Amino acid sequence: MAAAALIGVAVMATVDEIVFHQLLGWHHFYDRSTPAVGLLSDGLLHTAELLALVAGFVMWADLRRRRALSPGHAWAGLLLGLGGFQLFDGLVDHKVLRVHQIRYGVELLPYDLAWNAAGAVLLLIGAGLALRARRAPGAKDPER
Amino acid sequence: MTAHEHASAGLDAWQVAAAIIGALAVALYLGAARRLGRRGDAWSWRPTASFTAGGLSLVAAATLEPPGEPFTAHMAQHLVAGMAAPLLMALGRPLTLALRALRPGARRRGLLAVAHSPPVSWLVFPPTAAVLDLGGLWLLYRTPLLAAAQERPWLHAAVHIHVVAAGFLLAFSVCQLDPLRRRWSLPWRAATLLAAGTAHAVLAKTLYATPPPGTGFAVPDLRTGAQLMYYGGDLVELGLATVLAVQWYAVTGRTHARALRRARLLQEPVTPPFGRR
Repeated sequence: MAAAALIGVAVMATVDEIVFHQLLGWHHFYDRSTPAVGLLSDGLLHTAELLALVAGFVMWADLRRRRALSPGHAWAGLLLGLGGFQLFDGLVDHKVLRVHQIRYGVELLPYDLAWNAAGAVLLLIGAGLALRARRAPGAKDPER
Repeated sequence: MTAHEHASAGLDAWQVAAAIIGALAVALYLGAARRLGRRGDAWSWRPTASFTAGGLSLVAAATLEPPGEPFTAHMAQHLVAGMAAPLLMALGRPLTLALRALRPGARRRGLLAVAHSPPVSWLVFPPTAAVLDLGGLWLLYRTPLLAAAQERPWLHAAVHIHVVAAGFLLAFSVCQLDPLRRRWSLPWRAATLLAAGTAHAVLAKTLYATPPPGTGFAVPDLRTGAQLMYYGGDLVELGLATVLAVQWYAVTGRTHARALRRARLLQEPVTPPFGRR
């Protein structure tokens, strides 16, 4: 489950970067109002996301090789990762550190609400799947 | 920019030197690989191809004028010569090949003594390599060093040599494919990669906003160059991370196979050591 969560976090971070930064041009690469700590955390997160993507996939490949992959846990982990990152990005990056905003030149509140609500929904589905995977007969999280 | 006026008028001394070093390294490598082949020893074509590609891209980066405005072109050159070519060359495991190709004797012993000497061991300690590489880049772009280098050819040459050498050192120490005295564990090397990648990304973002002191690059040029640095750096980091991941996968695979064999040998009721199903 940890492996899939790692992939989830990385995938969401990558999707965020590609869709919102590149395709929509909503986010700015750097909007000059970012304090140094935000810039540092952004660089760290960005690099960590790259490494997590690679690490997640190789861990997933390892579980498959050992036939220890439990699909229920994997889906739960993926969604937990997706939602967790979305929420984290929305709250910490956008608001606390103010790395950048979702979109410029518009009223931000509805965007922020939609962003964080989407994260929370993904997180809840992930948590639900994790509970179901744990209750399923004979299924133990192979990682613990 | 002075450096580029030079380049269009003809090749600078450092460009010729870098091209010769790249070509010479490839020639030596291919010669050594051929010696092994004729002796009947195996040397896979993959490291050979990788090293050759790395050496040739170094030659290309030194001699060809990349397209684009001055700063973007400069950045493209740095990405190829300072990151991509060093990674490809490190994947060629040059030290391993040299040690195998040299006949037992003074030269081989000398090479091994140098490779295992305390100063070299310190240089290939991954954090040292990262500080040398990224520290050099921060000095280059965040102090008037770049502006100064554009006016003094020898300084310009020294900067380029440092970028290539430090890039190679970092790739060499993070991948750790060659027989060094001290093996650094995966967490050490992965943490180094994380720190180095962060320093690179942050530097690229600051360049997007503020040019290197004392230079007058146009804003669009600066922004394209900074983004090239950011995303180009990502590609090389992905490459390095993949090398680490593949090493981890191979090691865990061996551990797992060993544990399975032991379980079978002991004739215990077979419980797979990792999970079930």
